Amino acid sequence: MANKVAIVAVAQVGHNDALGKNLREISYEVTKNVLNQVGMKQEELGTIITSSSDFWQGISCSRSVYFDAMGAYLKDSSKAAEDGALGFLYGLMRVMSGHFDNALVHAITKSSEIPSLSTLTNLYADPFFQRPIGLDDVSAAAMQARLYMDRYKITEEQAARVVVKNLGNALNNPYAHKKMKISVDEVLRSEVMAHPIKALDCAAYSDGTCALLLASEEKAKKLTDSPVWVKGMGWCTDHHFFGDRDLLNGGLRKAAKKAYDMAGITKPLEEIDVAEICEPYSFQELLWYEQLGFCSDGEGGKLIDNGITVMDGKLPVNPSGGVLATNPYVARGLIRVTEAALQVMGKAGERQVPGVKTSLAHSTHGFAGQHHSVVILGK
Amino acid sequence: MARAVAIIGVGQTKHGRRDDVNYPELVYEAVKAALEDAGISPEDVEAVVHGTMPSAMEGINAAHLYLSDAVTAFGKPLMRVATCGSTGMSLAHSAFYHVASGLFDIVMAVGSEKMLENDPQGTMTTVADPFFQRPFIGGAPGVFSMQGIQYAHRYNLPEERVREAAARISVNHHDNALDNPYAHIRTKITVEDVLKSRIIAYPTRLMDVCPSSDGACAVIFVSEEKAKKFSKKPAWVKGLSYVGDEHFFGDSDKVVWESAIIAAQKAYKMAGIRSPQKELDVAEIYNPFTYQELIYYECFGFCDRGEACKLVEDGVVLRGGELPCDPSGGVLCTNPIGATGLIRVGEAALQVTGRADDRQIPGAKTALSHAMGGADQFNGIMIVGSEL
Repeated sequence: MANKVAIVAVAQVGHNDALGKNLREISYEVTKNVLNQVGMKQEELGTIITSSSDFWQGISCSRSVYFDAMGAYLKDSSKAAEDGALGFLYGLMRVMSGHFDNALVHAITKSSEIPSLSTLTNLYADPFFQRPIGLDDVSAAAMQARLYMDRYKITEEQAARVVVKNLGNALNNPYAHKKMKISVDEVLRSEVMAHPIKALDCAAYSDGTCALLLASEEKAKKLTDSPVWVKGMGWCTDHHFFGDRDLLNGGLRKAAKKAYDMAGITKPLEEIDVAEICEPYSFQELLWYEQLGFCSDGEGGKLIDNGITVMDGKLPVNPSGGVLATNPYVARGLIRVTEAALQVMGKAGERQVPGVKTSLAHSTHGFAGQHHSVVILGK
Repeated sequence: MARAVAIIGVGQTKHGRRDDVNYPELVYEAVKAALEDAGISPEDVEAVVHGTMPSAMEGINAAHLYLSDAVTAFGKPLMRVATCGSTGMSLAHSAFYHVASGLFDIVMAVGSEKMLENDPQGTMTTVADPFFQRPFIGGAPGVFSMQGIQYAHRYNLPEERVREAAARISVNHHDNALDNPYAHIRTKITVEDVLKSRIIAYPTRLMDVCPSSDGACAVIFVSEEKAKKFSKKPAWVKGLSYVGDEHFFGDSDKVVWESAIIAAQKAYKMAGIRSPQKELDVAEIYNPFTYQELIYYECFGFCDRGEACKLVEDGVVLRGGELPCDPSGGVLCTNPIGATGLIRVGEAALQVTGRADDRQIPGAKTALSHAMGGADQFNGIMIVGSEL
């Protein structure tokens, strides 16, 4: 990268199904935490980018209500809506441009205050053709899962192993929402939401927020001894109409290629030490393995069967428990970046993977991964 | 040295009630026009930024995903930016930073709204916080009318004088809109008509208020290298800033309005402008309500505090004056909200490149564009010029 940018501090709240604090209070909490870590005052903040969503908040122009609570008063600022990863990318571009030497990036959703996932994601669909038939997040994902199983003989057991891994990993993460030791059988026996997806295959619905501070090379060196450098990034969009898409070959491959090219990564499985990927449904983690180039097409199931992606595997995926464990919708993308940064800093506590030099963060939003982002971080 | 960024293409729809097209078709109309204006194909566009006003306006969650094909974003990086009324300006800023970062050379910003398919004021009310202010803030006019009253009282100005100045702004802008083939409201009106139109929320009358429109705008931002390759006459981004203040109405002064003042000061500094009234040739100010425009003249340093009415009375900011404002007819005549701020940027770019046809201000070289958003809370500015 021409202009080097580093993550110098990260903060998140303890995620939960219903936090007893309002949007302004938790935004203030994470902002203050980040500033304290580097000994900065609000006046020294360069620019501020936040991510939230009108529908996922029930307040239009969603950021305006917590704007001043996150130190943005009289600061140059903006919002990248719907996905915290986009907020990260926008903050990154602002620092890369040289117009700012630091950027606070923040993302927030309180799922406890809004309608159900099904209601909100039915509103993703066009109003005339796909909305009336009830297309929503889980039914879209179920069609993708069915296609994946049919084309590559991926099994429900393999998907269930992702749940066992991620919810088990979450036991080591003090910020995780849903954490438990469960068996493949328990996952398979949980209530069917949309065949073949069962209740335990689905992400949590959480309250939470996350913030991090980006700094230019010069500024980063003044603020911290352990900067995490952004090595590569890419993001990509697919068609809208569900039937127009190849659900097993979306934009992720392209987003990953761009990020890998920038970071000089040619063999992701060998060169990446840990990955935090966004898996709103368990089988998607397997599919994303393939599109991230961790294995070839149809081999995602084998990766989990062979223990490659468990905590002590060759490439641990979602030591934090991922989105299955913690899902404050818009914030989840920024949490992936935060967790990937903690791993490089060596500050991931009990969920730390030893000796991490390079980490990957991924995020997605929209039906069955209509939009993907990939970020590579390193020492 | 920061990377230079230019505008090489501007496209907008014919704004108004557009029952003849659906939402993606409406958006594509602007996208196609911008691509043709820039002389590039969809494949040349490396990344897209799209935005609308609150998602509830069209009842579509994550409209960027719904419109991904209409904005030619298939297989490309796409970002949704939404900051209420200032969305269009935030889109321009986002596209600017996409290019300025060095990651992209050609980026398209697209703003859109199909307001007449929904209840705009019902949606607008949900911008206020749910507990304290939403129960009594009925849409946009309530907030902006309070601001208008606050202005008159602050400087002890006779309300008749302020009303008359506001009415003259309205007449000027409606006249301007007659020269703009894209404008929504194109009607010849008189000062008398404005002063006698029905009250919406005192002191604001019907003709002091913008319409709800269907419409879209697309603007193409490029690096210096691409600007020289694709365009004989690009508009260069000279300065930009976007500043916000407190959420709760009542916490901040909306007359000596810090966010507007500081946004302007920062953008002027970047553009090297010391005396705005002399150095700017034209301004596209975001004025959904006439009274607000008076406040902006002062916040942007076009005149001293309390002197905005005089600026209108002397004709400085009217057509033919020293610093004509809103030659397009402005927001007062066209307001598809998600596009509105971007239309300001696009119109400013057309002015400094001498391409604004019948609404051209002769010899315009430097133009200010502006938008306001949030809960009467955010102000964003982009200054464009004809020279690098």
